[in-house]
Amino acid sequence: MIEIHSINKNEALRYLGYLDEEPTYDTLIALEKNEKELLKVIKPRYIYKCFDLIKMEDKVALKDCDLVLSGESIAKHLYYCDKAVLMCATISADVDKLIKKAQVEDLVDAVMLDSLASAVVEQLCDEVEEEIKKEYSDYSTTNRFSPGYGDLPLSIERDWLAVMDAQRKIGLFVTHGDMLTPRKSVTAVIGLSESKIENITLCDECEIKEKCEKRKRGEYCGL
Amino acid sequence: MDFNTLLKKEFVILDGAMGTMLQKSGLKIGAIPELLSITESRKIVDIHKQYIDAGADIIYANTFGANAEKLKGCGYSVQEVVSASVNNAKKACEGTNTLVALDIGPTGQMLLPSGTMSFEQAYEVFKEQVIAGKDADVIVIETMTQLGEIRAALLAVKENSDKPVICTMTFEKNMRTFTGCSIPAMAKTLQGLGANAIGINCSIGPDDLPPIVEELARWTDLPIVIKPNAGLPDPSSDDYDVSAQDFSKSIEKIVSSGIKIVGGCCGTTPEYIMLLKQMLENKKYQKPQYEIQSAVCSSSNTVVIDCPKIIGERINPTGKKRFKQALIENDMNYILSQALEQVSAGADILDVNVGLPEIDECEMLTKTVMELQEIVDTPLQIDSSDPKAIESALRIYQGKAIVNSVNGEQKSIDTILPIVAKYGASVVGLTLDEKGIPKTAQERVEIAQRILDSAQKYGIPKRDVYIDCLTLTASAQQEQATQTLEALSVVKNKMGLKTVLGVSNISFGLPCREMVNSTFLTMAMQSGLDLPIINPNAESMTGAVRAFRLLTGADENCTNYIEAYTSQNKTPVQEIKSNDITLKEAVQKGLRGDAQRLTKQLLETCDVMEIINEMLIPALDVVGDGFEKGTLFLPQLIQSAKAAQVAFEEIKTKLINENKAPVSKGKIVLATVKGDVHDIGKNIVKVLLENYGYTVIDLGNNVEPSAVLDAVKTHNAKLVGLSALMTTTLKSMEETIKLLKDNNADCKTVVGGAVLTPEYAKTIGADFYAKDAKESVDVAKIVLNQ
Repeated sequence: MIEIHSINKNEALRYLGYLDEEPTYDTLIALEKNEKELLKVIKPRYIYKCFDLIKMEDKVALKDCDLVLSGESIAKHLYYCDKAVLMCATISADVDKLIKKAQVEDLVDAVMLDSLASAVVEQLCDEVEEEIKKEYSDYSTTNRFSPGYGDLPLSIERDWLAVMDAQRKIGLFVTHGDMLTPRKSVTAVIGLSESKIENITLCDECEIKEKCEKRKRGEYCGL
Repeated sequence: MDFNTLLKKEFVILDGAMGTMLQKSGLKIGAIPELLSITESRKIVDIHKQYIDAGADIIYANTFGANAEKLKGCGYSVQEVVSASVNNAKKACEGTNTLVALDIGPTGQMLLPSGTMSFEQAYEVFKEQVIAGKDADVIVIETMTQLGEIRAALLAVKENSDKPVICTMTFEKNMRTFTGCSIPAMAKTLQGLGANAIGINCSIGPDDLPPIVEELARWTDLPIVIKPNAGLPDPSSDDYDVSAQDFSKSIEKIVSSGIKIVGGCCGTTPEYIMLLKQMLENKKYQKPQYEIQSAVCSSSNTVVIDCPKIIGERINPTGKKRFKQALIENDMNYILSQALEQVSAGADILDVNVGLPEIDECEMLTKTVMELQEIVDTPLQIDSSDPKAIESALRIYQGKAIVNSVNGEQKSIDTILPIVAKYGASVVGLTLDEKGIPKTAQERVEIAQRILDSAQKYGIPKRDVYIDCLTLTASAQQEQATQTLEALSVVKNKMGLKTVLGVSNISFGLPCREMVNSTFLTMAMQSGLDLPIINPNAESMTGAVRAFRLLTGADENCTNYIEAYTSQNKTPVQEIKSNDITLKEAVQKGLRGDAQRLTKQLLETCDVMEIINEMLIPALDVVGDGFEKGTLFLPQLIQSAKAAQVAFEEIKTKLINENKAPVSKGKIVLATVKGDVHDIGKNIVKVLLENYGYTVIDLGNNVEPSAVLDAVKTHNAKLVGLSALMTTTLKSMEETIKLLKDNNADCKTVVGGAVLTPEYAKTIGADFYAKDAKESVDVAKIVLNQ
């Protein structure tokens, strides 16, 4: 099982709006205090499962199950792949509670915890991705791709969680508004191919390209 | 055969997995297994028969996910799927003594406050399933991880069926469910609500069960159920790793812990059940011999009343102008901060009283209880004289609460005790009746006895009745102090009941009240007081309780005492209080202590508006500019906003105490839209707007469009701020704006949130777009300062 003992604070600072600027000493101290609090309550949990793919022009179906990943973006993303690993990761409902409590006690702590928690989920996903790459080392892999990227709709989350049995296995739910709960959770797919994959950048087609902080910084989310 | 007859057997055998059997026969991953009850009923009947042949006394009908949530869009109704499933099971049982259970699984939704499904929504989903499955012999609620959800299911069963009900939840090795519910909390809550048997299913294999079963046995005298998985699944093949032989061997080891009803969950097959039955054939049921303790709980924290435990009294408007103001303004943040303050001061339980003639107490109490559950795990005491308010708060409380209070009047007994019994709460019994408070200890004891007798008639166990012998004012009735203590001692030591007492009334009208209070508290504890209701922020009171626990040995090795006071002795990092700093600088630098001190000083000489307009707002403008230019960042912006907020709080308190109207530059309604529960951004906006002197009516998150319209009308607000963080909830934002326009609401709208753009804001009809909290203040200035 993956354990997380420290949080990528630079990533958290980026969520707080810092680009290359140095945070003040007080900000760093507060960030460390909140990191400690957060590490006490996170419980990283994840599952992943490999599926054979049936590819079509504007969608990708998973073999032996009813889930269809719809949209051109995902079709392009998995263009070179004949298998894909679906993953779900979460850091527990206690994190939501901690952030909510901080909103009453001290909003500064709340925004810091919120950013740190987002950073932890990313970290967890990175580690899960590593684990998947190790397990499928004979394959080349795509970047992670999540519902909400490109034209892969968020409404797919419900079936996604059902296929992964995520509620029972890691306590991950989705609301009627397609929001994952606990809130700091991620679902993503990684394509596998026996041949070389050319990662296609879909940045220009992304719905949020106008607002994307990563894009503004010249970075790329992996889409 | 019925369930109670079945319980006379040494052990009751349940069936094994249905899903595993269906997957083996080719069910697609992610498909709805309950539909096979209709499309392939023969296959389902056959699986049931295999379990009956293996020796199951009860089989679970294929109805686990047959609820409105999970069947959405499948083409069949809940009624169709449930009755087909129950009929299949009945058919399989023909000619046998095996009983059919209606199997109720989770809705798949997280309940409020973590998710968006309300208690009543969940209740309706379960109610439909219960009614559809009325032909079953038994009802089973299983694989639950949220105490709130299993409560909704259990209440739906109790209110719509007279069948016996078995409840099992899913625990991890750490003895918690995914959502943090503990074993004692499950036991206390479900037994209180009238479950017939409780236990554990799914999640873990039989090898991890012993500590969990032993823990459960300490907390309940109901029959204990286990239905574990066949070990852990392989992540890719989903095969489970414990064989049928090893499964029954592992369960053999926990027979002595007191299990009564046994079966298998995921990965188990008829073979597992057959071997299990064979193993149990020569064994005897060994009922656990623990004495069940008095305790109350939230979903994750149980407070056992085995030594004095503090009930914090501060959530109560009586005699508190600031608190009253907060209630009238619906200022939930203030109320919640009172809770957190008491918990960190040492409260074990929080009394919640929000009764005020100006407000709807029932609605407010329920809302407060709901919000408190999200931020504290301290059990709650529901304090109200309105039976309706008590019931609606108990209905949504995810745990075992205390009801404050019933008294010796017949009317009170007849209205309050049935509610307490129904929801499995504990109750405070006040020793007064139609004739008032009796003068003598003996008479108070008699009332206590009457309350106890009535409670037991309603089925409330003795351990859940806490008696309050009532504190009278020593300055007026000096002799009464000893009468209270005498009565308390008899109730505790002769009647064997737990006792509760509001302490501070003793010193009313006297100087140095705390001295009298803490001495009386100590005397009361020595006489047998279990639950002092006090202000935990008063150091001498909390200290007396802690010291008492230490001296009576309840605080083993003085651990808690030392922990409480060493951490306090550690000097926190002090803000440097320089004398030459101005309020403006203090706010700019985000120094709360200085901001508070300087505001206090300034209020003695300066006009309120001068402080706001010439010091606080200019300071915030400087910070806002810095934020806009990218030289200051979000933590600093909020830090300053918080310092300004502390200053405003001082101003507000002064104005309230002088009965003057609060400062307001106009009203703004804020909400995170329906379906969205992200509220941190909205809360930053709120603080900043308040800092600029606007009155914010904060409707919270997941807010119905109609609630926004109502608030705009009620408060005559000229600006509405809406927040949404997800593409899917932008639709609710659009609906809300449309509703406001359709009703010609006289207000402007400003929208914000991560996925919004100025263009999109325009297309959904918003008047303004604000990219951050600073910009929403700019919008407010434009709209409200016209």
